Parts: sequence; C-alpha cells; structure tokens
Amino acid sequence: MSHYLSPEAYGELSAGIQEILISAGQIEKRVEELGQAISRDYEGCNPLLVGVLKGVFPFMADLLRMITIPVEVDFMAVSSYSTDSRQQGLVRLQKDLEEPIGGRHVLFVEDVIDTGLTLSYLLRNLRARGPATLKVCALFDKSRRRLIDIPVQYKGFDLPARFVVGYGLDYRERYRNLPFVGLLKPDVFQP
Amino acid sequence: MNQPNSQTTPPAFVHAIEVEFARILDYYGIAWQYEPRTFALEWDSDGNVTKAFTPDFYLPEQDLYVELTTMRPKLITKKNRKLNRLRELYPEINVKLFKRSDLRDLMIKYGLDEHAARIAGTGAQEGRG
Repeated sequence: MSHYLSPEAYGELSAGIQEILISAGQIEKRVEELGQAISRDYEGCNPLLVGVLKGVFPFMADLLRMITIPVEVDFMAVSSYSTDSRQQGLVRLQKDLEEPIGGRHVLFVEDVIDTGLTLSYLLRNLRARGPATLKVCALFDKSRRRLIDIPVQYKGFDLPARFVVGYGLDYRERYRNLPFVGLLKPDVFQP
Repeated sequence: MNQPNSQTTPPAFVHAIEVEFARILDYYGIAWQYEPRTFALEWDSDGNVTKAFTPDFYLPEQDLYVELTTMRPKLITKKNRKLNRLRELYPEINVKLFKRSDLRDLMIKYGLDEHAARIAGTGAQEGRG
C-alpha cells in the first residue's frame, strides 16, 4: 500500500513545478525492482550501502526497506563547491564512514549522477580503502552531462539534462520532500 | 589526489565561465588542459586549413574534449556543424558540448548566481571555437 500524498497536497512546492517527470508510483515500483536485484546479487555478502548526504536520504530509506537480505548502511558528507570551502581549493570529506571497508562488498547509493565529479572523487577515495567490490546504484542518471565516465550497475531512471527537483533533489534546500520528480518552473530559479 | 591543470604555463582563458569551469575541475581533482589541440575541418585545394575547431578543455584521464558555450540555442548552429564535422573526420575523438542551459544549471547548482545570471541575461560568448 502506498503512503505518498498527491502532488496537490504540496501546494506551494507543487506550484513551482512545471511538469512531473517521474511520479511517486513510478519511483516506488522502480525502487522495489532495484531492491530485488540487489537482494539477489548480494545474497550472502552482507553488503555495506554507502550514501552521500543529503540528497540520497529518501532513496536510501526506501531502497533499504526493499532489500530483503542482511545489509549495513553508512553515510558520508562531502564539501560542495557551492560553499565557502571552494576558497580552500579542494573537495574534502566532512563526514567519513564509521567503520573500515577493507574486504567489504560496498554498494555506493546515489540519488542522481550528473557530471560525475563528486561521485568520481568519492569512488577514488573508497577504492583506496580496499573494498572487496565497489559498485554504484543510482536512482537518476543525467548521462548527457557526464564528464567522468562512471559505470552504474543499478540504475533507476534516465533524466533529461534539465533542472529537476523532488525525492531528495533540491533547489536551494527546498523541494527534497516531494515524493515525485519534476521540472522546476524557469521563473523559480531564474537568477 | 588533486591533479590540476597539467599545462606548464597558466592558460589565457577567454571567458569567465572557462575560469570557473577550470576551478570546478581543480576542486574535484580532475586533470585538465586548456585548448591543447586544434582539429582541421576543411582544406583548400592547396591543402591549407580553411576551417578548424579548438575545443576549450581536454580531460586526459577521461580522454574527453569539452566545449563550453553560453550562446543562445538558436545561435549555436554553426558550432554544432563544426562539432558534427569533427566527429565525422575524427571518429576516435570524444567531444562533449556543454550548452548554455548545462552551464547555467551547473552554476545554479554550485550557488554561483552571478555566473548563472550572466549566462541567462546575455547572448554572451559569440562565434568562437
């Protein structure tokens, strides 16, 4: 049974949406399929699911509940170029994993892959720690904007190279709580 | 881990958006070169190059050329023709066009409102490349 609200329930937020690209129902169905595939592929592996805050948290929460084998979960946080940290010149971890991952089967869970710049940095960082395997699960993929080629083993949806929000994706920290993904109206984000 | 600009002399960027793009690559430790290669596209009967194209960036680890444009969509026909010709003549070359909307969204994503406004508000970068 689904528990998401209708788009109309999000009044002010929905008013900023030009078009719903992926409905809550479509997301729910695809997340269930991804959970089934991961459960099958990682049977007996006790995988560690790693997400990078903040956008991944709705997807991670839903995906976890669709995985039927024992799993562990952890999160990382990384400085963004959008913050004052760019003055320091280099991306850096703001929150690291709680435990070592050497020899573990790690599945990196992402909400969206765009240019691949952040994910590339994180995968290099994790790979250096010697996991047994390191794969990527991304719910949304904007492959046309990819600068860094990153193999994605589990993918939810292809997205157009447009500014989209919802289901964890934000514009200035808003819209993450929408259960669907939609195009933001141009007048909302016109600088 | 960072591998910034691998060219020996600082590049003479033509546009502010190129400076910011280079900074973003540096921030994420992605090696890059600025306009390292010009591709001949047309020749006259004597074999002289009459048309050429120089992509803005080359990312050596990705073996990818990146061309940036802030031109309005209706003005990029000439650039698209050059890119298509480049792909025909040099099929082994990977080249990606980052269009006005791509760059604007990238700037918005990183909170660079000034750059985003500049891209949105002007015809910007005309006819180069």
